[in-house]
Amino acid sequence: MIRFEGVSHRYGAVEALRDVSFAVPAGTLLVLLGESGSGKSTLLRTVNRLIAPTAGRVLLAGRDVAAGDPQALRRGIGYVIQSVGLFPHRSVGANVATVPGLLGWEAGRIDRRVDALLELVGLDPAAYRDRLPATLSGGQAQRVGLARALAADPPVLLMDEPFSALDPATRRGLQSALRRIHAETGKTVLLVTHDVEEAMVLADRIAVMEGGRLAAEGSPSALLGAGGPDVLRRMIRPELLAFHRLAAIPAGTGAVPGPVSGAPDLPEGASMREALLLMLTAGADRAALPGEPPRHLPLAAILAAAAGEGPV
Amino acid sequence: MRALPALAPLAVAAAAAPALLGWIAAAPNRLLSPRVVPLPESATLAWAAFHAALAVLLLAAARPRPAWLAELAAVAAAVALLATVGLGAAGAVPAGGIARAAPAAGAWIGLLALALATATAASLRGGSPALPLLAALAGGAVLGAAGWLDALSLAREAEGRAPEILAALAGHVGLSLGALGLALALAIPLAALSLRARRIEAGFLAAASAIQAVPSLALFGLLIAPLAALATAFPALRAAGLGGIGPAPAVIGIAAYLLLPLARGLLAGFRVAPPDLVEAARGQGLSPRQVLLRLRLPLGAGVVLGALRLAAVQAVGLATLAALVGGGGLGAIVFQGIGQLAADLILLGVLPLLALSLLADAAIGALAGLVPGGRRA
Repeated sequence: MIRFEGVSHRYGAVEALRDVSFAVPAGTLLVLLGESGSGKSTLLRTVNRLIAPTAGRVLLAGRDVAAGDPQALRRGIGYVIQSVGLFPHRSVGANVATVPGLLGWEAGRIDRRVDALLELVGLDPAAYRDRLPATLSGGQAQRVGLARALAADPPVLLMDEPFSALDPATRRGLQSALRRIHAETGKTVLLVTHDVEEAMVLADRIAVMEGGRLAAEGSPSALLGAGGPDVLRRMIRPELLAFHRLAAIPAGTGAVPGPVSGAPDLPEGASMREALLLMLTAGADRAALPGEPPRHLPLAAILAAAAGEGPV
Repeated sequence: MRALPALAPLAVAAAAAPALLGWIAAAPNRLLSPRVVPLPESATLAWAAFHAALAVLLLAAARPRPAWLAELAAVAAAVALLATVGLGAAGAVPAGGIARAAPAAGAWIGLLALALATATAASLRGGSPALPLLAALAGGAVLGAAGWLDALSLAREAEGRAPEILAALAGHVGLSLGALGLALALAIPLAALSLRARRIEAGFLAAASAIQAVPSLALFGLLIAPLAALATAFPALRAAGLGGIGPAPAVIGIAAYLLLPLARGLLAGFRVAPPDLVEAARGQGLSPRQVLLRLRLPLGAGVVLGALRLAAVQAVGLATLAALVGGGGLGAIVFQGIGQLAADLILLGVLPLLALSLLADAAIGALAGLVPGGRRA
């Protein structure tokens, strides 16, 4: 869906991007992970042409983004930024309606779309449609920002540190909302973050950026394993590496058949990290998986996965 | 609500000045010096109304509630003072004769004190003084239209020169609006381009600042030679009214002066919208023009209107000098009055000038009240 081909960018003497090449398959949620100044935001902004690469090209659905009208390109790509950037003098509804309005949709269709989107991001349309952005909490504002980005149903969503300014509880709520929306809509999502844990929770694929270069690209569990790039070990406390890696491994991969009594029940789609936390809380050495036939996850399977053994 | 202590001395001054220095000065003809005469009985009622309004003003100074009461009282006192002078003059000199009557020094000082009281009360309320001062001028105009001021030499002068003054007023409005329009036509595109390139912004501001360093009359004078040459070279331009002498150098010169306040105001206004908000808007697919019209202009409307207000008042003031390069306007009346040492004639030029300036200020102020965030203007 998105393909970077030898993308480089210079700001004067600073090389922000150096020969970055990789592809993001359609429907994938790819996280661009890196420290400050690694070039991850710059790379994101080459996709909607807010930045023009000084060398290389970016293909979107097979077409070079540098060809054609930049405004038309951007109206076909959702864009969410950390500070949200809602227009302060327009209502929530008018903000969400920005791109459909630019595309000339008729009023009734825009109204229906705005309400559907506010519901999708978990805000009651009747209560929020006419409010001004200043009256919203940070989390609510970012939900509106997400709704605005999705308004014209773009196939691609670009998110630049969308949850970084939020408190941890709000951030977790929005992360799960994004996962749900991604599963429901099948959008191709490119999300920039410096938070390894967030990357593990959200990503189908992770591209790690370092000094303007692509350091590694792969599945979350593979990157946090033994062969992963060194930069990740700098970005988190090393003793937490294995713990975060577990967030990317579904609990089901280590399951063994057979019922178990007196053990906590895992929710649908839980990760190994959630299973470990549940066992710690309950003081159990195994947890029951939902569904039939009965299966359970022993603590040993989690330890094996954390050590990089077993199926990933 | 705090008291308005500054108002009490002004109210006392407005009461004391005419009582001590006289209300009316009369002369048997225009060659003899006027002398202060006692206030005739014909003005007793207006005199009482004046003191009643001053009493209300003192009361409002002690207990400013409602907030507009002090302004209303000051304006009412000023109008009553004018009525006292007008009706008193009618009793002091015979109608239709060659004897002349004018406000005495005391009356002038009283009017000045009340104008100051009005402006003070307005700014203590947090409002613009333009509207109440305009109301006082309008009150004076109503008195004049009703014939209450007919006995004053100023009214007799005005009667004879009404068509001339109206033409000068119309010319002045034309000069001011023409200059403001020309300056906006230059400043808006330049400010918009400045957002894209720092070099354009630096050049724009440097040029606008450099113009301010040239004395205004010198600039008008400097424009005469090139404009005259242009008009000679291109007869079509001359036919369109362009020439070295006349309104053209004045309009161009005034517009050049307005560039700096407009440039600063527009650039500051356009930058009220934070950069990340502009970035988000661009990312949604808004074109540069849409970013300007939908984001920068509404968010910066207060600052932009503030600059427009300043520029409009400056334009009205600078247009007075147009008369010196043959451009007409109210300046022509004022300079004629100065040349003839005719105080009444000078006033006939200055009063409409004052009204025009206050009107421009109040009109743009009212506009600023309508836009969100515009009250800062």
